[in-house]
Amino acid sequence: MTAQIRPAAGRMASFIPKAVGSWLAEADHVYDAETIFQYIDGAGEVYRSYNMKLLVSRRFHKDGRPDIVVDLFDMGSSADAYGVFTHDLDGENAGIGQESTYKAGLLSFWKDRYFGSVYSEEETKESKDAVVELGRRIAAAIPKEGPKPKLLAYLPAEGLDAGGVRYFHNYSILNFHFFVADKDILLLEQTASAVLATYASAGKKSYLLVVGYPDEAKAARAFESFSKNYMPDAKKSGIVRTEDKRWTASAKAGNIVIVVFNAGSDQFAMNQLASVQELIEAAGKK
Amino acid sequence: MMIRKVITRRDFLKSASIAPLAGAFIPALKGGQTDPGQKVRVVLVRDPYALDAAGTPRAETIQRMLDEAVCELLGERDPASAWKKLIRPDDVVGIKTNTWGKLPTTTQVEQAIRRRVLDAGVSEDKVSIDDRGILRNPVFQNATALINARPARTHHWAGMGSCIKNYITFVPKPSDYHGDTCADLASIWTLPHVKGRTRLNILVMLKPLFHGIGPSHFSKEYTWEYMGLIVSRDPVAADATGLRVLQARRREYFKEDRPLQPTPHHIFLADTRHHLGVSGEDRIELVKLGWKEGVLV
Repeated sequence: MTAQIRPAAGRMASFIPKAVGSWLAEADHVYDAETIFQYIDGAGEVYRSYNMKLLVSRRFHKDGRPDIVVDLFDMGSSADAYGVFTHDLDGENAGIGQESTYKAGLLSFWKDRYFGSVYSEEETKESKDAVVELGRRIAAAIPKEGPKPKLLAYLPAEGLDAGGVRYFHNYSILNFHFFVADKDILLLEQTASAVLATYASAGKKSYLLVVGYPDEAKAARAFESFSKNYMPDAKKSGIVRTEDKRWTASAKAGNIVIVVFNAGSDQFAMNQLASVQELIEAAGKK
Repeated sequence: MMIRKVITRRDFLKSASIAPLAGAFIPALKGGQTDPGQKVRVVLVRDPYALDAAGTPRAETIQRMLDEAVCELLGERDPASAWKKLIRPDDVVGIKTNTWGKLPTTTQVEQAIRRRVLDAGVSEDKVSIDDRGILRNPVFQNATALINARPARTHHWAGMGSCIKNYITFVPKPSDYHGDTCADLASIWTLPHVKGRTRLNILVMLKPLFHGIGPSHFSKEYTWEYMGLIVSRDPVAADATGLRVLQARRREYFKEDRPLQPTPHHIFLADTRHHLGVSGEDRIELVKLGWKEGVLV
């Protein structure tokens, strides 16, 4: 059961071609944040966690060939379109939209407030060409680009794995990429925005988490909650050597909480915190 | 509201290495209804000819595999005797299947179960196979016995599409159970219309999905012909065993340890928090029948 096509859905549908090669479009299906479960079951929670507004799904059929499915999401903002794109970064760059990946018959891309997925149910050379062509035409039809989340500006450039940056709003997605705790000890609560980035540190991955809260009071409560639950032994130092001989450090700057996980040394952890604080300060002066 | 201690990454670091964190960390915490020391039996049966060249299950092979597994599970020589231990003639039997289009339980598995339920003396009007319509299905509404059968696959939000998760359609609003990536799915099994009714769990491993991509979380690229069925009276033990197979296949395919994301912790919490069954490998007696090549566990 799908929702009525609404004007916004009509506009999104206009971005999607009616045919690609000999593949012809079938009827559109439209879902919102409530009805998405009818389409993709529990996986709908991922899109809901990025505040999805609308999904237009269109299947393309060609006799004797695998079907191709376009799922075009209106995420409400370019930040969340970017965010849901970062949920799965596996694959090769397909050069479509503002960023894209292609793997095993699936093209994912984002542009402005839209996240697109074009998927061939079986990958052939012909279907791959059609998938990429569809993606290219959809992205071209979206009239403008959108900005990435502001929090990205607080990630130090040195050592950053640019292909491993994730943006999100809740602890389930955080745990998906880096398990912290089975409860929301950082009080993300879907109202905060966070970036998780990976850096090389002493031959291993170090993780930098930067969380922006709606206000300073909320950030203070979150910082206290994290300190109490995750690193009570750090006391006021803000840094602790964890059981695997790595280092975790945290700090608060205004409405932002910064955590470095898995650092190879205390020096690296403290330098990372200082670098982020400098970037925050510099941004505040602009 | 359930009050419990926060469990952090550091808790696991204190008790174990970090490697199992995202996949199999909780089995170390003991739980489940079974007496300590008593093992739960899980039977894995495989046949290299379970699927034909087109990938369709061969009905006769599936029936034989199911029969062998159930006989082994219950210590009986013939299927009729074994199924009589599971089902009484006066039972009303719901066969809970899974109709997800890309990877369903399959008609062949459903019919193999149905045949043995009928052989146990249940009349045709008291047996039903259903998935999304069970809340409106009179047989399921009056069921005294449930047989639970679903394919194994990775899942975008629960980590794994498991026997435990297959009961999500017993609730009117599945999203109520999506919190903390489906942590408390096992609580569905304590609902009055479900509790204590499940006689058998069958995790279908004919062509499992070991990795998912995209909104629909499916690609044929990430399925493989494992040609197996996992059968147990304990859904948690069946799922934990299936999970080991999926993780082993991921290691084999990706050539690195790539744990499932998100962690299918609902399986382990079904043991440690909800005491629905056992998940620890040391608590499971795994009996392997049939084809051994590529068994992975």
